[in-house]
Amino acid sequence: MSDANLPADLPRDAGKRLAELKKLFTSDLSVNEFLLIKQAGFHPLGLVMGSSIYHTGIQTRKWSKSQELTKLTEAMYNARELAMTRMEEEAEQLDADGVVGVRLDVNYYEWGSDAAEFIAVGTAVKAESGVSHRNRLGKPFTSDLSGQDFWTLMQTGHIPQGLVMGTCVYHIAHRGLAQTLGSVGQNVELPNFTQALYEARELAMTRMQEEAERLGSTGIVGVRLEEKSHQWGSHTIEFLSIGTAVGDTGAAVTLPQPTTVISLDN
Amino acid sequence: MTSTADGDATAGNLRDTLLSLAANGYASRSKSQKGSTSDLSIDEALVLHSIGWEPVELVCGAAAFSIPAGIWTWTQGEVVAASAAYAGAMGRAAAALQAECRAAGGHGVVGVRVDVTVERHLVNAVMVGSAVAPGGGARPPAMPFLSDLSGRDFTLLHLGGWDPVGLAFGASFVNAPRRSVSAAMRQSSQNVELTNYTEALYAARESAMERMQSIAGQLAGHGVVGVRVSEGPVPFARHVLRFSAWGTVVKASGRPDELGPVSVVVPLDDAALAFDAASLRGR
Repeated sequence: MSDANLPADLPRDAGKRLAELKKLFTSDLSVNEFLLIKQAGFHPLGLVMGSSIYHTGIQTRKWSKSQELTKLTEAMYNARELAMTRMEEEAEQLDADGVVGVRLDVNYYEWGSDAAEFIAVGTAVKAESGVSHRNRLGKPFTSDLSGQDFWTLMQTGHIPQGLVMGTCVYHIAHRGLAQTLGSVGQNVELPNFTQALYEARELAMTRMQEEAERLGSTGIVGVRLEEKSHQWGSHTIEFLSIGTAVGDTGAAVTLPQPTTVISLDN
Repeated sequence: MTSTADGDATAGNLRDTLLSLAANGYASRSKSQKGSTSDLSIDEALVLHSIGWEPVELVCGAAAFSIPAGIWTWTQGEVVAASAAYAGAMGRAAAALQAECRAAGGHGVVGVRVDVTVERHLVNAVMVGSAVAPGGGARPPAMPFLSDLSGRDFTLLHLGGWDPVGLAFGASFVNAPRRSVSAAMRQSSQNVELTNYTEALYAARESAMERMQSIAGQLAGHGVVGVRVSEGPVPFARHVLRFSAWGTVVKASGRPDELGPVSVVVPLDDAALAFDAASLRGR
């Protein structure tokens, strides 16, 4: 592999490390996961990662208005996309079928105000049979499932298509003095809060579903919904929904009947 | 100050370990007695026994490397002296562990706990694990293997047709880049990627991983499993980022896979209520 065919946004050091992976694999899989992935007919190729340090812009918010902060949403999307794309490019360099056990993290450093590092790390795998298991866009699949989950999924005739996510940064309006006074001492729903949270979640989940539809997947498993304020104060929240889109391979279900055991561990 | 206190504690533990070893005449003790010491749990000892391996001795390796003064100022690029001290301390500790394992007649060390502290003037690495050997009194190899895998993981690998061959590690210390005031002003209201930061962190991470891979290559392994990558600022010099990666190098043993088909089980004890797939990943 020469540097000539390395994508422009990957550093040269990455190319060198990936070239070495022809002889040797690295993985952050535990022994259980490693053996299960071998059982499922795949071989780990190497630890792949993508990272981007991103400066988030500023957006003014109206104190009393619930609204999506599109600029911040865009920043969170862009930065994650950059990290994910670089990870996929590394997997591509290794000629992988997919990446399992992907972790997406956001780190903040003291020396970078308003800047955050978005990082994606996972283990690239390839089928030992030589049959391609790439997704229908012809790219390596990505998935945040563990080795155990991956094995189980494969036994049920499904294969991951891609890690899909939707995000929405939302500003939730503060309540006016009159509203606050009006509800003192009463059991009441606070409809403006409820509605704002609802809408933000719906936006995030819809975006995730759209991504899954683009991959032509039959469903999304292991969805997590995370709410984080990052560094924006209590009324600005990022809603992130993330999961693995799966597709039906048409293969027979070979998952053995579960055995119940009473463990002697304590 | 906490880091110093931790460091003192480690240094204290190390001193105690060394003193007790010296007092007991370590090598003669392990040869003269038939019994064995190990920090394996009963379960681990049992599964090891099931594949014909027995614990031999609790072994320890330690090394401290000094860091020259004045290298923690905020400049550019990698803090080479710190990276070198880290590699030196880890390498020496691993070699000391191997030497103790050889002296005890072990074929390798499992469950190695790596405890490495970086202080302003010192990198301190301590490795403790259980030396193990197959029954039947086979001659121990000249270079025993080291592995941070548990006895249970070792057994699984063994049955799956793989052997651990050693511990691979790599670390890199790098200065955070600085942004010019004009660039910071220009970017303050924009969504932009800070490419110089991204590149600096990438380079550091890549060099740590590459050092790990080159050790794995020297050990003639086929791969590295259970790699743990950790990163974060150095506590006493927060502009310096530390990346470290380590894992167990494995090699296909050529024995057939004896694991057989996987069966799916549903545990019925309370522990299952707290079951979390993430816990299986060992973090």
